[in-house]
Amino acid sequence: MTGLKELVRRNSRLFFKDKGMFFTALITPIILLVLYGTFLARVYRDAFLLSVPEGLMLPEKLINGLVGGEILSSLLAVSCVTVPFCANMLMVTDRANGNINDLTMSPVKPSTLALSYYIATLRSGILVSLTAVAGCFVYLAATGWYLSVADVAFILVDTLLLVMFGTALSSCINFFLSTQGQISAVGTVISAGYGFICGAYMPISNFPEVLQKVVGFLPGTYATVLLRNHAMNGALDELGTYIPAESIKLIRDSVDCNIYFFGSRVSLLTMLLILAGSTALLMGVYLLMNILRSRTARSK
Amino acid sequence: MGNIIEIEHLYKSFGEVRAVNDLSFRVKEGELFAFLGLNGAGKSTTISVICGQLKKDGGSVRVGGVKVEEGMDRIRREVGVVFQNCCLDKVLTVEENLSCRAALYGITGDAYKKRLEELREMFELSGLLDRTLGKLSGGERRRVDIARAIIHRPRLLILDEPTTGLDPQTRRLVWDRIESLRKNEGLTVFLTTHYMEEAADADYVVILDSGSIAAEGTPLELKNTYAGDYLMLYGVSKEEAEGLGYKCEQVRQGYRIYLPDTACATELIRSKPEVFRDYEVIKGKMDDVFLAATGKQLTGGEVK
Repeated sequence: MTGLKELVRRNSRLFFKDKGMFFTALITPIILLVLYGTFLARVYRDAFLLSVPEGLMLPEKLINGLVGGEILSSLLAVSCVTVPFCANMLMVTDRANGNINDLTMSPVKPSTLALSYYIATLRSGILVSLTAVAGCFVYLAATGWYLSVADVAFILVDTLLLVMFGTALSSCINFFLSTQGQISAVGTVISAGYGFICGAYMPISNFPEVLQKVVGFLPGTYATVLLRNHAMNGALDELGTYIPAESIKLIRDSVDCNIYFFGSRVSLLTMLLILAGSTALLMGVYLLMNILRSRTARSK
Repeated sequence: MGNIIEIEHLYKSFGEVRAVNDLSFRVKEGELFAFLGLNGAGKSTTISVICGQLKKDGGSVRVGGVKVEEGMDRIRREVGVVFQNCCLDKVLTVEENLSCRAALYGITGDAYKKRLEELREMFELSGLLDRTLGKLSGGERRRVDIARAIIHRPRLLILDEPTTGLDPQTRRLVWDRIESLRKNEGLTVFLTTHYMEEAADADYVVILDSGSIAAEGTPLELKNTYAGDYLMLYGVSKEEAEGLGYKCEQVRQGYRIYLPDTACATELIRSKPEVFRDYEVIKGKMDDVFLAATGKQLTGGEVK
């Protein structure tokens, strides 16, 4: 246990002390914030205003609450996955720079080593993501707070689940990497691509129909939708007091609060089960891969 | 003195390439054992098998009397390895690195503090403990790396080219510490190196070529078998030097006479004492042994 505790501490320290690794992890959320700060927030704001009947004046606080909810959900949807991905690159870095040789020469079991990467990544991911959640809550409180206690609790649950998903997914992918070149390539693809395919940069409803169907198979999509629902429900309910229910449904569809899998609307419970199930599945795959590698190494 | 490493008929191949081919040798407890060979000779493969990081294809490998395939957990507690490249974390401090590695061996709390104090004195780490590893010089980093390798008091220390890239002064410092460990703690040192003068100080040397032993013995045995002696003659004329009847070469202040062995030098001195006014007999060097045994010259890892 001491070995595991010490390895987790080492891995976490390395993530937060290695400026390169830490800032790479934050680059996607930062890009997103810059995009929102420069034009995306204005685009969403205009879109909301266009969807209300002409002449109807909405409170500024409500508009801010809607836009802020969307920012919060997009930011968390991205950072809860990209931060664990970058933190978990440590397992590849250790292989690339040969540090793994020293660790495997100690009496620590390979399974303990694998578990230490997982726990440290999860811990770093949770720390950074909860800091982001806190920052977003402060922003919403200052501009337009419409979240209920249940919404707050669900956002925290969604965040934890998504970090667990990101950790499990990155563990499975990073398992096969062993060079600095591969780290750069995968890091770039994840940083650039994940924000797009999970619907953080642009709502999935704006994607071509074929792409919408494809992303319907990705569990990360449902995490974004869950977060969006829990971050925007309060503000959308409030908006419902100003405009008809049909208009609210159209807005929900356009901002991905509703998502359809081959025409059928997916419920929030189903989304939660998909996310939790895929996380459990990926954790099982990671465990299995480590067992197989351990057996292969013994016969090498 | 018992054997700490016993290797019998070790085989290891990677696909079609036979990295280690019927290798057998023993390392006695407490000795400095030098393992020489060019890159690709099979040194690292043998070390990886000893450390349990590679499985052998055939033969037997015992460390401390324990077969590697049966008691690797025990072996890991008795072996420390200094790899070619420092494998500590560059963004952590020296103390953070050492405390982490110690904890992997179950050394924590007061036991760790006591061991750290010993290592601090032994490797002059006082001013380094709070510094980030990445900001240390190559020599300082190497000292920390050796301290890391022996933090759990291993019986066997494997040094894989420990002084490559270090300046002569730091190399001397590193070797002083290793010598002191051998004397004070009875540590066995298994060394691979490209520096022949380091191998010359070993108790036993194995020269590996293409996965097999090309030569082995004490440095003296190897020199006597594979390298002739030199006779340096000073204050003589060219005719006098050539008149000795052996291959001779003019050097800055005299002549170097190449002789097959020391007995031949003794015979020459007896037969022509008038020529030997100022002279010295020098044993052949390990470079010559390596060249004679493998047909290849080893200088800083490069084949010549």
